[in-house]
Amino acid sequence: MILRAAAAVFVKDLRTEWRTRVALNALLLFAFSVLILVGYAVGPTRLALEDRPIVNSVLLWIVLFFSAMTGLSRAFVNEEETGTASALRLSAPPAAVFLGKLLGNLALLGVVMALVVPLFLALMSFGIAAPGLFLAILAFGAIGLASASTFIAAIVAKTAAKGALFAVLATPLLLPPLVAAVTGTRIAATEPELAAGLDAVRLLFAFDGIMITASFLLFDAVWRE
Amino acid sequence: MRLVAEKLCRSFGPRKIFGPLSFATSPGRVLGIAGANGSGKTTLVRTLVGLIRPSSGSVWLEDESLPAGRITVRDANGSIGWCAPDLALYAELTPAENLEFFARVAGRPIPREEAERRIAEVGLDPKRLRTIRTRFLSTGQRQRVKLAYAVLGSPAVLFLDEPGSNLDEAGHRAVEEIVAAQRARGSVVLATNDPVELALADERVDL
Amino acid sequence: MKVLGSVGKVVLGVGMAVILWAAFLYAHPAESFIGESSRIVFFHVPTAWISALAFLLAAWHSALYLKTRKIERDDAAASAARLGVLFCVLATVTGSLFAKVMWNSYWNWDPRQTSIVLLLLVYGAYLGLRQAIEEPERRATLSAAYALVAFATVPFLMFAVPRMYASLHPDTVINARGKVEMSPDIKLVFFTSMIAFTALFAWMYALDVKATRLVRRLEERADGGHTA
Repeated sequence: MILRAAAAVFVKDLRTEWRTRVALNALLLFAFSVLILVGYAVGPTRLALEDRPIVNSVLLWIVLFFSAMTGLSRAFVNEEETGTASALRLSAPPAAVFLGKLLGNLALLGVVMALVVPLFLALMSFGIAAPGLFLAILAFGAIGLASASTFIAAIVAKTAAKGALFAVLATPLLLPPLVAAVTGTRIAATEPELAAGLDAVRLLFAFDGIMITASFLLFDAVWRE
Repeated sequence: MRLVAEKLCRSFGPRKIFGPLSFATSPGRVLGIAGANGSGKTTLVRTLVGLIRPSSGSVWLEDESLPAGRITVRDANGSIGWCAPDLALYAELTPAENLEFFARVAGRPIPREEAERRIAEVGLDPKRLRTIRTRFLSTGQRQRVKLAYAVLGSPAVLFLDEPGSNLDEAGHRAVEEIVAAQRARGSVVLATNDPVELALADERVDL
Repeated sequence: MKVLGSVGKVVLGVGMAVILWAAFLYAHPAESFIGESSRIVFFHVPTAWISALAFLLAAWHSALYLKTRKIERDDAAASAARLGVLFCVLATVTGSLFAKVMWNSYWNWDPRQTSIVLLLLVYGAYLGLRQAIEEPERRATLSAAYALVAFATVPFLMFAVPRMYASLHPDTVINARGKVEMSPDIKLVFFTSMIAFTALFAWMYALDVKATRLVRRLEERADGGHTA
C-alpha cells in the first residue's frame, strides 16, 4: 500500500519532470559548467602526480555536491509553491510521499552522475584502480546526498527563504559523508584492493541508514506540521 | 458518519483566527459556514480537514462502524473530500491523470475510463481534455476538475470552500448537483459568501 | 524556575573565584605537558562537557515538543542550543590555545577539532533556521525536526569522522592527550570546576529560558492578539 503509493508519487514526479525538465536541465547545466571550469582551469596534467588522486576526488565530489544543492530542493519546494502540497497531504500517506520524493531525487542524481562522472574521469584523466569500490562509494554517496537533501527540502519548502536556507541546513549534515566519499574515492583511485576502502563504504552505509531512518521518523512532523 | 468539532480554536502566533467553535454535521445535511472575507472561513475548513492543527479543541469523525467510535480527521484518509481556492492540482498532468494519481496514492486506484467518467460528471468533455494539461485549462474548467477531485473517493464528509468561484451558470448547477448527490452519501460542509449557495445549507455557523 | 537562591549565587561566585585561584596557583602542572598548558583542563573540559549537555537538552526538548506541542518546550530547546553554541565556541577556543602550546599550531584538524567545528556548523544552521521562520509553531516544529536529525548524525561527527581522519593521519595527537592519572590536587580542582560550571550552566539556562519566554509573550502582546 505504502510502496504502491510511493511508486505513484515517484511516477508522477518523473512524468512532471519529463514534461518540463526544469530540475534536470538546471542540474545538468550546472554540473557541466562546473565540469568545464574544472577541466579548463585544472586539467589532467597541471597537478603533481602524487596530488592527483586526492585533488580529483575532492573536485568530483564538490561538483556532485553542488549539483545536488541546486536541483534537489525542488522535490518539495515545487509542491508548496504551486499549492499541490495540500491535496497530496490529504490523499497520500506521509511515508509514501517521502519515499516517492527520495526515489525521485535519487533518480535525478543518478542521471546526473551517469553523465558527469565518466566525463569527469575522461576530462581529468582520472584513473580508477578499484572500479567496484568506486561504484559502491558513488552509490552510497548518492543515497546519502539524496536522503539528506530530500528531508531538508521538506523543511525549507515551508520557510520563506527556501533556496538560501537549503544549502545552509544541508551542508553541515552532509560534511561527514562527503569526507568519507572523498576519502573512499581517493582510495579507489590508488589501491586496487577492495578492502582498503571498506571503512569509507561502511561509514557511508551507516550514514545513509541513520539519515533515512531519522527522516522516516520525523517526516510526518515536518510534512503535516 | 458525523463530523464533530468541539471548542475548536486557531490562532497564528498572537493572531486569533476563529473560535472557540462547537458544531456537528449529520448525514444527509448541509452545514453552511458564513462569514465576510477574512473572517477565517478558509482557515476553519483547513482545520476541519486536518491540514492545520487546531490551537485548542478538537475535531473528529464519529461513526458506530469505527473501531473506537471515532477517528481524528488526520487519520481519516479518504473519508474526506475537499475543494477550496487554496487547493491546486498538478499543472503538468492532464485532468484525468490528476484524478488517477490521487486515487492511486489514496490506495483506491481507478482505471482511465473511470477518471474520464468523473470528469464528464462535472460537465467537462473528457475526450477533448485527453491531451490537455491542467495548466492550460481556464480557471472555471480547473474549478470543475477540483470538484471532481473532491468527490473522487466518495467521501463521507465533503468540504466545499467557495465552490462556485469562477463558475458559470452551468457550473453553479453542477455544484448544486454535487451537493444533492452528497446528501445521499453523507454530509456537506459548505463555506461560502454566496447567498444562493448558502440557501442550500440546513444549518449555519457564522464567523 | 529558580535554580539558585541568593545563597547559591554567593556560593557559586566565591567558588568560581576559588577555582580560578586554585587552577593557577594551587594545582601543579601535570607531567608530560609542555609548561603550564595542562591548567587549561580546568576550563576546557567543563566547557566541552557543558556544550554536550546543552545539545543533549536541546534534542530532548525538541523531541518532547513534537510529542506534546507545548511551545514552552521549544523555548527550552532554543535556549539550550544557543548556550550549547556559546560553550562549544569556548571549548573550541580553549582547545585551540592548548593546541598552539602543545603542537605549535592553533588548528591542525585533529579529529576532535574536526568534530567540534562540525557541531558548531550544525547548531549554527539550527539557529539560522529559527531566524528564518516567523510563525512560532511552524518555527518550533521545523527546528525541532532539524535538531533531531542533526542529533541523530552527531554520533557520526563524534566517532566516525575522527576515525576517518585518524586513518588519514595515523595516531598523532589524541593519545598524548588521554587523561593520565591526575594527581590528587589536579583531580580536586578539576571535579570542583566541573560541578561549578554545571551549576553556572543551570543558572544561565534557567535565565535564558525565562528570557526567551518573556520575549515571546511580549511579541504576542505587541501584536494585540491572544494565544489560546
